[in-house]
Amino acid sequence: MSDAATLLSRIAGGDRAALQSLYKAQSVRLFGVAMAILRDRDAAADALHDGFVNIARRAGQFDPALGAAEAWTGAVIRHAALDIARRRGREMPTDDATLGDTPVEATQLDAIAAGEEGVRLRSCLEQLPEKNRKGILLAFVDGLSHPQIAARLELPLGTVKAWIRRGLLTLRECLA
Amino acid sequence: MTPEERDGLAAEYVLGTLEAREAAELRRRMETDAELAAAVAGWERRLAPLLALAPPEAPPPDLWARIERSLGGIAAPARTGWRFPWPALGIGASAVAAGLAAFLVLRPPPQAPLMTVLLTSRDQPAWLVEAQGDTIRLAALNQRPVEPGRVAQLWALPQGATAPTSLGLVPEGGRFSVTPTTLRPTPGMLIEITLEPPGGSPTGRPTGPILFIGRLSAAGGA
Repeated sequence: MSDAATLLSRIAGGDRAALQSLYKAQSVRLFGVAMAILRDRDAAADALHDGFVNIARRAGQFDPALGAAEAWTGAVIRHAALDIARRRGREMPTDDATLGDTPVEATQLDAIAAGEEGVRLRSCLEQLPEKNRKGILLAFVDGLSHPQIAARLELPLGTVKAWIRRGLLTLRECLA
Repeated sequence: MTPEERDGLAAEYVLGTLEAREAAELRRRMETDAELAAAVAGWERRLAPLLALAPPEAPPPDLWARIERSLGGIAAPARTGWRFPWPALGIGASAVAAGLAAFLVLRPPPQAPLMTVLLTSRDQPAWLVEAQGDTIRLAALNQRPVEPGRVAQLWALPQGATAPTSLGLVPEGGRFSVTPTTLRPTPGMLIEITLEPPGGSPTGRPTGPILFIGRLSAAGGA
């Protein structure tokens, strides 16, 4: 088991020191994940807070057979950030560049995690048409909603929804 | 629901494009629908490498303390079934004792105090910095107001690190202390104060000029 997986099993047993070790090891990475979605330090801090409280409560649900510990903690923080984004009204586009509100524009696939799964995902993403790929990245990394992605890509909402769905289907076949 | 529909819903949930009501509904269903939960786990695993596309950024230094406060009332997660029937056997207290022992063992040994003087760009002494254990104390040697409309932000750069970590904004007044949660003061660590927009650097990295800088070393020697 990885260090983080060992920490999660200790956290599941109520070990607060293990939670703090996990925080020290991962908070910079995970705060970055929340910042990409929320683009606001206070809101991202709320997401990291909510996420770590959830990690403390739900560490027992982590199953190393289903994926890496870093992927699991990343998912917990992402969903905490997405919940905050939904609560504050994500459907209102707020992509005003002058407010420092520009998405990360995660079109740089170079930064995708190394390792077998990262390499495969990258190669599959590169085979997607550009707008399908962009839509998927803007949703996953930047936390944009369907209407926000439609506005950004200057495409009708229905088209964006269909392209993302098709992109996900193609990804699953490519990765199978 | 067909397997394809289930998988598509799981994918959109993981992607984050479900609306609040749909996401909440899916979470409720995951609790009883093992196939849906497995589909979600599959998509979390497939898309996890994308997490690395978000640039890392140091969280506010006081955040760990806030998390700990929130967890104060939460005991060890509730266990279902009889996986861990220790309290029933009277081992609960000794488990607590073992946890405490582990905590004491894991604490790093006490460290000699570190110090430095932060200098201005003209090598004028500006702040006395002392670090003992996890706490860094700063005292102004020559108090000057920060430029109007800007704030001063404190940073630490451990030796070997590629980016400084924010230790928060420098408060008004000539003295303050910080206890970082994500790093520990060590010899050779750079301490610097930069000029930043209101609220601090928006990027998590210094964006303005360095006002004062110094490097921690063992007090009374070296």
